[in-house]
Amino acid sequence: MATEVILPRLGQGMESGTIVRWLKAEGEPVEKGEPLFELDTDKVTQEVEAETAGVLLKIAVAEGEVPVGQTVAFIGAEGEDVPDLPSPAPAAPAAPAAPAPDPASNSLLQAEEEPTPAPEASGNGRVKASPLARRLARERGIDLATLRGTGPEGRIVAEDVERAEAAPAAGAPASNRLLQGPVPAGEIERVPLSNVRKTIARRLTEAWRIPVFQLQASADMTRVNELVARLRERDPDVRVTVTDVLTKVCAQALMRHREVNAEFTEEAILLHPSANVGLAVAAPQGLVVPVIRSAERLSLTEIAGVRAELVGRARENKLRADDLEGGTCTISNLGMFAVERFTAVLNPPQAAIVAVGATEDRVVPVRGETAVRPMVTLTGTFDHRAVDGAPAAAFLQTLTESLEDPGLAL
Amino acid sequence: MPELSYREAVRDALSTAMRQDEDVFIMGEDIAEMGGSMGVTHGMLEEFGKERVRNTPISEMALAGAAIGAAMQGMRPVAEIMYEDFMTLAAEQVVNQAAKIRYMSGGQLAVPVVFRTQGGAGWSPGAQHAQQLEAWFVHVPGLKVVFASTPEDVRGLLWSAIYDDNPVVFFEHRTLYPIKGEVPQEIEPIPLGRARVHREGEDVTVIATGRLVHESLKAADEAERDGISVEVVDPRTLQPLDEETLVSSVKKTNRAVVAHEAVTRMGFGAEVASVLQYQAFDWLDAPIERVGAKFAPLPFAPVMEAFVVPHAEDVLAAIRRTVGK
Repeated sequence: MATEVILPRLGQGMESGTIVRWLKAEGEPVEKGEPLFELDTDKVTQEVEAETAGVLLKIAVAEGEVPVGQTVAFIGAEGEDVPDLPSPAPAAPAAPAAPAPDPASNSLLQAEEEPTPAPEASGNGRVKASPLARRLARERGIDLATLRGTGPEGRIVAEDVERAEAAPAAGAPASNRLLQGPVPAGEIERVPLSNVRKTIARRLTEAWRIPVFQLQASADMTRVNELVARLRERDPDVRVTVTDVLTKVCAQALMRHREVNAEFTEEAILLHPSANVGLAVAAPQGLVVPVIRSAERLSLTEIAGVRAELVGRARENKLRADDLEGGTCTISNLGMFAVERFTAVLNPPQAAIVAVGATEDRVVPVRGETAVRPMVTLTGTFDHRAVDGAPAAAFLQTLTESLEDPGLAL
Repeated sequence: MPELSYREAVRDALSTAMRQDEDVFIMGEDIAEMGGSMGVTHGMLEEFGKERVRNTPISEMALAGAAIGAAMQGMRPVAEIMYEDFMTLAAEQVVNQAAKIRYMSGGQLAVPVVFRTQGGAGWSPGAQHAQQLEAWFVHVPGLKVVFASTPEDVRGLLWSAIYDDNPVVFFEHRTLYPIKGEVPQEIEPIPLGRARVHREGEDVTVIATGRLVHESLKAADEAERDGISVEVVDPRTLQPLDEETLVSSVKKTNRAVVAHEAVTRMGFGAEVASVLQYQAFDWLDAPIERVGAKFAPLPFAPVMEAFVVPHAEDVLAAIRRTVGK
């Protein structure tokens, strides 16, 4: 029988790794100890060696992030049959990539949470577990068949049982836990980190290291409100929103101040040729940022259509990886929560994010008189490595001017 | 505390016993003027004379038989078998006579004899002068078997072996003779059948004998750097075996490696692994790893010899396999 190649645990606490590339092709002979593939973990990239000799019969996971203990390939005798992988395989090659977020990609997180991996079982359905793991599972009433083994050859070891006990709702979405009734006072509720949550944590921690500055400006939204009302009258099916107008004027301002539509790299600052505007959306599984591409070339109704579809998919947890990629600037709007103003954390590698507060009536001076106007406050956060204060301020000025007089954005 | 080499510690136990007890004497090939092939009995002829430091003909069977006879008559002889490879020549007397007489006489006769012998690779002695045959004798009911790894242990255990009323096969390791270690001022007998925990740890227990105790301690230091906490236990007496200490250690760490220089196949470690799997089955979180020599006669060539016998890195690799990293 072909031998499974298991994603190894290279260090304590390692949960998953990203296969960068295979150093052997399917059908190629492999010696024991020969490098098989390159594995990227949160610590290192290293070559993983074959534990047995034979022919690399099948590569089950060509690339991407894989949990420790999962089968990624099979080695055996030439022409030997390869057992079917449990379905749905968490990251089978044909599945729409649930890749490790590429630092060059604009997505804050993956589109889909990985399905709970099927338990490892050998051909006869017997679960492979250490005696200690069996005893612990027996004592704690845990079904071994629901666990995934991270020991050698996918064996369930004591650590796996302990982890399962720590997270009894293994695999269930964290949000469901909220429906299980009140938590007894005095007990800490433990919400296991989902992959989405882990990605959010990792990306935002990276972002926090970037030197940023914030600029703030307010705009009179009278004309935007009029414009939105007119458009809704004319085209009630589309339902253009203030966010769509913000997207449009932001895209125009980005194209006018291309130094803000930028990305900092160690070698050069990349100025993007179009404005792909990301919208921060509070989806059930966490924050996601789907992207409206080339927003500067789209009409308001086109933007509204794309936006409605993306937000709808985000709320249903059905975004695809490419919905989240390629953003060049992000808009984060908390106006619906009556937040007056706030600062957003940068969404790398983008150089700018615009935080939008609530549009609220404020008393403002208009031509020497006091007037009540619907005002909004925008706070831009900028990557100071890529953009200096003056061009960023000019961008923000263009943005507010265009909001006050949307015709300027045409 | 005074410091003695392993060699001096053996000599100290022999000399001290002979000074205070006329029943104790030593015999063996070239042990008198020459002081033994390993120099262990050097100087003892001058102190104790030819009657008590007896050179024998080159016949292991004869000298073993003579020692057994003396023991049956009430003496406490310590016979040196120059290389444990030559225990094969003494085996008839040791296995069929010494081990059986107490039982077959219905307890009327005791055989308080010690067969001291040494072996072990690491100095290119080739296939016939460095084997580790301790498992052969652990297999025989009626014998006690000791394998000491430090100066303190070898002295205290040899003392207990001399004063045990049963035949004891006492293994020393050739490469350990020069190592030094602190010993108590006065000899403190170490009871047979009691293991020594050299180092406490949490993640895996390495049960090692002889030279591999030292290799295992090195491996444990190395593993520590990677955050793997290793307990190292030396059973010291292979028969009777301190199962309680070994089993309780493994119940604590949930993983075990057994390590000795002898070949793995049918080695002492196989017995230990069996004891552990039976008594600690529900505590094991990984298969028990065995470290030992490859199944081959020892080559003369140093690089090939080093390839055949295990070292610290082999123990470390086994440790890593049990913890899966």
